Amino acid sequence: MSEKKSLGKVFFNGIIPENPTFRLVLGTCPTLAVTSSALNGLGMGAAATFVLVCSNIAISLLRKFIPDQVRIPAFIVVICTFVTMVQLLMQAFLPSLYESLGIFIPLIVVNCIILARAEAFASKNPPLASACDGLGMGIGFTLALTLIGSIRELIGSGSIFGQNVLGASYEPMLLIVLASGGFLTFGLLLGVFNLIVKKIEKKNAAKEAQAA
Amino acid sequence: MLTKTFKRGVHPLHNMHEGKSATRDLPVREYVSDTVVISMAMNIGAPAKPCVKKGDHVDIGQVIGEAQGFMSVPVHASVSGEVVAVDSIPSLGAGNVQAVTIKNDFADTWVELHPLGNVEQVDPKAVIPAIQAAGITGMGGASFPTHVKLTFREGATCDTIVVNGAECETHLTADYRLMLEHSTRIVDGLRAVMRALNVPKGIIGIEDNKPEAIVAMEQACQGRAGVSVQPLKTKYPQGGEKQLIEAITGRQVPSGGLPIAAHVVVLNVGTCAAIADAVIDGKPLIQRICTVTGCVRKPSNLMVRIGTITEDIIGECGGYSETPGKIVFGGMMTGIAIPNDQMPVFKSSNGIVVLNEKQAKSKDESPCIHCGRCVAACPIGLNPYQIKVAADKSDFAAAEKLHVMDCILCGSCAYQCPSRRWLTPSFKFCKDHITAEAKAKAAASKPQPPSGDAARNAATSKDVDSMGKQSAGHASKQKGGATK
Amino acid sequence: MSLRISTAPHMHNPLTTSRLMQNVCIALMPTVLVGVYAFGFPALMVLAVSVASAVVSEFLWQKIAHQPVRVNDFSAILTGLILGLNLPSTAPWWMAMVGSAFAIIVVKQLFGGLGDNFLNPALAARAVLLASWPVHMAASAYVKPTFFEAGVDAVSAATPLSSPGSYTLMQRLLGQIPGTIGEVSKIAILIGFLFLVCTSTISWRIPVVMVGSVYVFTLLIVGGGFESALIATLSGGVLFGAVFMATDYVTSPIRPVAQIIYAALIGLIIVLIRQFGNYPEGVTYGILLMNIATPLIDRFLPQKIYGYQKKEAKKA
Repeated sequence: MSEKKSLGKVFFNGIIPENPTFRLVLGTCPTLAVTSSALNGLGMGAAATFVLVCSNIAISLLRKFIPDQVRIPAFIVVICTFVTMVQLLMQAFLPSLYESLGIFIPLIVVNCIILARAEAFASKNPPLASACDGLGMGIGFTLALTLIGSIRELIGSGSIFGQNVLGASYEPMLLIVLASGGFLTFGLLLGVFNLIVKKIEKKNAAKEAQAA
Repeated sequence: MLTKTFKRGVHPLHNMHEGKSATRDLPVREYVSDTVVISMAMNIGAPAKPCVKKGDHVDIGQVIGEAQGFMSVPVHASVSGEVVAVDSIPSLGAGNVQAVTIKNDFADTWVELHPLGNVEQVDPKAVIPAIQAAGITGMGGASFPTHVKLTFREGATCDTIVVNGAECETHLTADYRLMLEHSTRIVDGLRAVMRALNVPKGIIGIEDNKPEAIVAMEQACQGRAGVSVQPLKTKYPQGGEKQLIEAITGRQVPSGGLPIAAHVVVLNVGTCAAIADAVIDGKPLIQRICTVTGCVRKPSNLMVRIGTITEDIIGECGGYSETPGKIVFGGMMTGIAIPNDQMPVFKSSNGIVVLNEKQAKSKDESPCIHCGRCVAACPIGLNPYQIKVAADKSDFAAAEKLHVMDCILCGSCAYQCPSRRWLTPSFKFCKDHITAEAKAKAAASKPQPPSGDAARNAATSKDVDSMGKQSAGHASKQKGGATK
Repeated sequence: MSLRISTAPHMHNPLTTSRLMQNVCIALMPTVLVGVYAFGFPALMVLAVSVASAVVSEFLWQKIAHQPVRVNDFSAILTGLILGLNLPSTAPWWMAMVGSAFAIIVVKQLFGGLGDNFLNPALAARAVLLASWPVHMAASAYVKPTFFEAGVDAVSAATPLSSPGSYTLMQRLLGQIPGTIGEVSKIAILIGFLFLVCTSTISWRIPVVMVGSVYVFTLLIVGGGFESALIATLSGGVLFGAVFMATDYVTSPIRPVAQIIYAALIGLIIVLIRQFGNYPEGVTYGILLMNIATPLIDRFLPQKIYGYQKKEAKKA
């Protein structure tokens, strides 16, 4: 890429302007499946971030050696490696989280965000920028998942990160921790997020217009 | 009584005798005013050109406006007296139209007339020229030149003349009184047309809320060849051309076509009577029956001269009984609201309905709740609620796909809509836009040489209705047909 | 003199949207009265909370979203009322409140407000409540009405669906059976139905076909003879759903044939859920599923337009 972007910009790009969950709507399958509690969301996000950063760096380093025709299988092999590492590490050190995330850890391999960043960014940019991009995207994903998880856990179980906050008399709204509740919460947050981003963009446009 | 009808439709003011009780039993009374303002654009097609100037003396029946081509009719003086102005007046559509103002000298002198005599003996070939010379247009509201209607394209055949005595519009009783008081004249006019076109069958359709008219017309039909009366169910828009044809003959006019495609010609009862006047007495169309009702002190059926000012007519009917909020030329379902009471009566003005301020208030649109009342009302079988969605987005292609061009603008859907959505106005806008676009496209692709035949071809082509709406300033009303 | 100019038509059928909604509210009154009489003060409380919450939610949303406030069109009141009648009288007040707010804000307003919701708001809210707080919504929450049995405290009782033999036909008609507030008295519902048909607020098609379809499919699929099929048809929310919820204008098809297909399929789904599903009652899901199918039915049903038949005949 001839155009040089500052690393900070690349990093923040993944958190708000191109948030993978709310703006790019990528990786919605794990988003909906594992966010029934804040901890699950955080764990999933962290695992994905780790894979994202590592695979971005690896693919960026290898970008000149991977033939264009077989790049997707090559990317997948790289991603697979890191996912297997995460899986084994998690199984060893965080067995309870591993239990609750279950099948979604190996499924990180097919998470669109990781492949999309490899394809769209890491295969065209130097390792440092790719690492920043992976970290930004990963943190954006983690924040989104933790937010959805917290809200669903709060309404659906009356607690956040397992700590009861709404008191014993609160009768949890079961629907929210069910799959349909996941869709509902995700949809509503998507709407709110887009509303906020649009307002910010409008303000920025107005500022630029004033400055010009 | 065995009645026929069409599918769907609405029943406005059904338990109030369709609003007709105020005037239905009042005999027609003649009223001649001091001054008349005669518009030159009273027909669909090209307006006439004034051929008199200020200061001229005119007799009744004298031509004051010459027809411009085939798709146009001459205009005649409706009173005798002095021409005091030839200027322009606001039209009911957009822009202004030319008009001749005549001060009545009450001498009632006629120009020399050329009667053709008994309709059963008249030369069939002389009938249509006589109609053309008399300046007759559809009297039910559409103002389509009658001689154009009676001149077919090569190959077209007609086996039935349908006479429209349905008068399905609310409040109006002009046709009803005509059928009671001049039933023989209507049959005479019908026979003249049947002989001119060599058509064996003539059917007069009358809604069953007018049993007296059915009896009177049946009596008048006795002993006349090929004419009969068909009672119809009281339902709006029974008098719409397409609905009338469907009810009486069971045929449907193909989409985009004229009634002649179903081998039928539809004439209003008023038109028939005017044809009889033109053929038997040689008299041009200078007066008509007009029902004046609503917020007036003395609702009446008046025989007025063409060009009589609305204010004078209201005065003759005892003045306004309440502050007027809206004055409608024609019926409540398809009539046109006029901007002020200086508007003169046209050849097609079958009624003047005065609404008070409360009745005139229009409510805001509220969201469509998909109740389906518009679908149940549409006599054509369209989905008005879907077309409205397309129209609101100005998506004309989608509207066309939903058959907006088949809409007859009868207003049934808008009448029924509980959310008071402006269905009919939206559809009219869509139709006008699509027609204008098609016209512009045609004009851009091949410039047509102006020929004498062009007007006639236009008259028989499919866009006759909307074409007229744009050119004839005030005559824009119901699609091609006479809903009345 | 200033005259108003407008395009035709110059008059309207006096029936307005708000009038139609009022008609449905009036038609619900017998059911409300019997419900309140049968279950006493708690039922009144549930209804009041759900109506108030619906109206307040609608008002607040329209204020926040800068939309014209149309609370006076009675549609929010109707949604609240129908939801309240769908709850058992033992429902806690906060559940009625959350349900109504969900119905108005999520199901109705987020999809575009009146006329644009693809699900019946009250029913969708009921489904949400059923999934969220099954303890308060399921049959165990139903109590036997105190109707005609003064002095007997309201007690948990088997529902007529889970034990079909325990109530007579007459008890079912009058409303001496446990159930939600609205579904107990079939006679009150029928009075409402007659009122709606007589005022031409709704057509008879959807309710009659839907109830008939439940009866026929019960006979065919469940079996057990005519009387037991009749009892199954009069049990649960079939009648209430058929008259007041399946007929919701926004979420039911428009053309008569489409309405018949829609209502018949609701009946089939109800019987299938009752017989083979996990839930004892399938009215809610039957109607909601067909709500979703409504645009499809409306779109794919052939339309007969004036002026086209002849052309086709000629071509053929």
